[in-house]
Amino acid sequence: MQLVDRIEKRRFVGREFLLWLWFESELFEGTLRTREHGSFGFWVERQIVLTAGVEGTRIKGPLPAAGREAKESLRRGKLPESAGFHLVAGNAETSFTLKADRLAISGLKLPTVLGRAEDVPPQLLDAPRRMVKRKREDAARRESRESDESHEAFYERMGLTRDLEGRLEVLYRDFLAIRLGDAWKWVVPVMRAWALGDEVDVEAYVRARDGEPVAKKRATRAR
Amino acid sequence: MPALKGSLTYSRFFVNGPLPTSFQEKFLKSIRLRSMKPLEPDDEVTERSGWCRLGEPMETELSFEDLFYNSYLNVGFRTDRWMIPGPLLRTKLREAESAYLQKRGRERLSRKEKTELKDLVSKKLRRQLAPVTRMTDVSWSLDEGIVRFFSHAPKQAAMLEGLFVKTFALKLVPEAPYTLAARLQPEPDLAPGWDALEPTDLAEEEGVA
Repeated sequence: MQLVDRIEKRRFVGREFLLWLWFESELFEGTLRTREHGSFGFWVERQIVLTAGVEGTRIKGPLPAAGREAKESLRRGKLPESAGFHLVAGNAETSFTLKADRLAISGLKLPTVLGRAEDVPPQLLDAPRRMVKRKREDAARRESRESDESHEAFYERMGLTRDLEGRLEVLYRDFLAIRLGDAWKWVVPVMRAWALGDEVDVEAYVRARDGEPVAKKRATRAR
Repeated sequence: MPALKGSLTYSRFFVNGPLPTSFQEKFLKSIRLRSMKPLEPDDEVTERSGWCRLGEPMETELSFEDLFYNSYLNVGFRTDRWMIPGPLLRTKLREAESAYLQKRGRERLSRKEKTELKDLVSKKLRRQLAPVTRMTDVSWSLDEGIVRFFSHAPKQAAMLEGLFVKTFALKLVPEAPYTLAARLQPEPDLAPGWDALEPTDLAEEEGVA
C-alpha cells in the first residue's frame, strides 16, 4: 500500500480511537489508566459529533455522550468525528476538542498559572498620591521584563500541552495495540452490546482487551 | 496570539529529517531571507506568504531573540492577499470597458483586451485598498521534531508546508492517524496490520444500512 493510501484510506482509525476513548471512559466511570500515568479522570463533555458519510449528528450538553441519541447514532453506523474531552490529572483540569481525521486539538484550555490577570500586582489606588513613589523603568527594561514574562508563560503553556499530548499518545498506543491485534475481534461485540445499552461485564472486557479470548455472552449481559 | 495566550487550536506536523549542524545560524539567515515582503499593487502575484515575529504581523525584521526560545523556534506565518470586493470590481470594470469602447468607437472587446483591462482595473483598485493580512503562530519544538501550527485551515497549512521546505530544506509531515501510529510504532511492524484494517461498524445488523 502506498503511503498516501495508508494516510487517506485509514483516517477512520482516528474515529475508532475517539469511539474507544468514549467507550472506556464510560465503562470505567470517567477514569482511565495508562502504565505511564496511572489513573486520571477523562470523559466526554460539551459536544460530540457523529457522522457516517454526509449524515451527521451534533449533540451538545454537559455530558453529550451519555444520552440515548449518541448511542442511537452508533447503532445507525455513525462514529465520532470530533468530541470534547475533560481531563483531570492531580489538581489540574484540562478541556479540549479532539478531531478524529487529523487528531488535531482545538479549544484547549490549560491550567496555566503564569500570565493570568490576577498575577499582576494590584495598583495602590487607595494610597495618597504623595505616598506612592513611582518607579520609572526605562523602556528597554520594561520591554525586557515583558519579554521574559511572555517567554515564561510560553514555556508553561508548551509544557502543559506536551503533557496532554504525551498522555493522548500513550492512549493511542494502547488503542493501537488492541486495534491491530487479535483483541479487537473480541472488543467489537462488547462495544456493540454497549451501544445497544446492554450491561457490559467490565472484567470480561478487560480480559478481552488484554488479549484473552472470551465468549460474547461472558462479556455482555442482557438488559 | 494562541501560542502565548488564550485557548489553543492547532495542528501538528512532524519534521522529516535531522537538524543540520549550526542550525541556529543557518535558520536565522534563511528565515530573514524569506521574511514577509509586503504586496505591492503592481505585483503580478495576488497572494504572498512570509515569516514575521510571533504575534506581530508587521514586525518582519527578525533577530535571534525573536525566534529562538530555548529549544523552540517560534515565528509568525503571515499571508497577505488582495481581496477586491466582487461588486466593486465588476462596476469599475464595466465603466472602464464602456470608456474604452467609446474612445475607439467599437462595440465589442476581444478576449485579450478584456483580460488586460481587468488587470489594469484591479491594479488601480489595489492602490486604493490595503491587502488583507493574516498571521498564524508557528512553534517548532526542536528537540521533539514537532511543529505546532495554530490553525486548522487546510489552505494555510499547505502554504506553510511550502514555505517551510523552502526555508529549512526539511519536509513537514501532517499528523494523521497513520503518521502518528508510524511515529509510535515504526515500520515494518506497523504496516501489515495497518494495511489489513477494515472500518468498524457498530450498526445493528438488521434493518439498518
